[in-house]
Amino acid sequence: MQKDLEEKFLSDFEKNQNIAHKICRVYTTNQNAHNDLFQEITIQLWKNYPKFRGDSKFSTWMYRVALNTAISLYRKSTRRVKTQDISDVAYKISSTPYDDTEEAQLKALYKAIHKLNDIDKALIFLYLEDKPYKEISEALGITSVNARVKMNRAKEKLKNILNP
Amino acid sequence: MDVLDKYKKAWVNQPEDNKQLTSKEIYKLAHSSSSSLVKWIFIIGILEFIFWGVINFLVPDSFYKIYEDLNLETFLQVFTVFHYIILIAFLYLFYQNYTNISLVDNTKKLIKKILKVRKTVNYYVYYNLAIIVLVSFVINAKIFSNPEKHLDIINPDNLAMDLSQIVTISIISQIIAVIVILVLFWLFYKLIYGIFLRKLNKNYKELSKLDESN
Repeated sequence: MQKDLEEKFLSDFEKNQNIAHKICRVYTTNQNAHNDLFQEITIQLWKNYPKFRGDSKFSTWMYRVALNTAISLYRKSTRRVKTQDISDVAYKISSTPYDDTEEAQLKALYKAIHKLNDIDKALIFLYLEDKPYKEISEALGITSVNARVKMNRAKEKLKNILNP
Repeated sequence: MDVLDKYKKAWVNQPEDNKQLTSKEIYKLAHSSSSSLVKWIFIIGILEFIFWGVINFLVPDSFYKIYEDLNLETFLQVFTVFHYIILIAFLYLFYQNYTNISLVDNTKKLIKKILKVRKTVNYYVYYNLAIIVLVSFVINAKIFSNPEKHLDIINPDNLAMDLSQIVTISIISQIIAVIVILVLFWLFYKLIYGIFLRKLNKNYKELSKLDESN
């Protein structure tokens, strides 16, 4: 039983791991911190997996647990040695061909997101992931109206950082 | 077209992380040890319960002689039983609040629950500080209601001073001791709040901001 659950978890997580990677990129600025947060997200997902009843998609459930880990559970280590800022390096380029301009835009976007507070980061992340307001408000625990107001403000902040 | 649209397009087209983990690697990570804020808040809470639980054993026996001298032994016995009942009640609440934490809750509810665990410990500390003040008050009231009779308690070294001087010194030294203890606690909690709770409080405030204004 436990083995089945574990296999199912590993397969679900492996397929959806990019959600966790993106959240780590949003909430951390160097590779060590990225790995730390990724590890914590993995631990929390596995710990909570037995309670996942499958009444929502695994990815929807994963968004919530991973974001909650980044916002509420993850503590930046103060012992961290200074490492290169993620926004300044050619960030994790994969072998797939990628548009130069889009790459620059993506770097600028991450750099701008890093300047937002934790909640605005979550709002912008969910906006970029094309999540509906209902899901955003349910994930954060605010009303739909407030989610809209907060989202507009977060987007304004982001625009100001991107185009000062 | 919104200025963010082009960035959103870049976001959607972003390549997958080049460090795609295999299920073997994920398995290893999933079974590693957590270093989450909640875990630290839990550990520190337990340490505080232990600290306040064993503090009675650290008080030298000679201190309890005061209760004998003042005929407060029954008071001490009743109070000790009461004290441990309260400790158990707090431990129960602490553990229950801790197990109530669920990462599937929405973010606001989750932070509220985490802060509630911390608050339980805080209330227990306040309770202990209040008890220290209360017990000191009872002892002082008993002594100073008849200082001449209890001269050996307030002047154990038999200093050649008149009674009013001894009473003044005794009260001043107690006030200084209370201030020192409070400053030490204040520093300790400043540290805890600074390290572990600043982020949670900040995020909770951010999520509550609009709800309050509506």
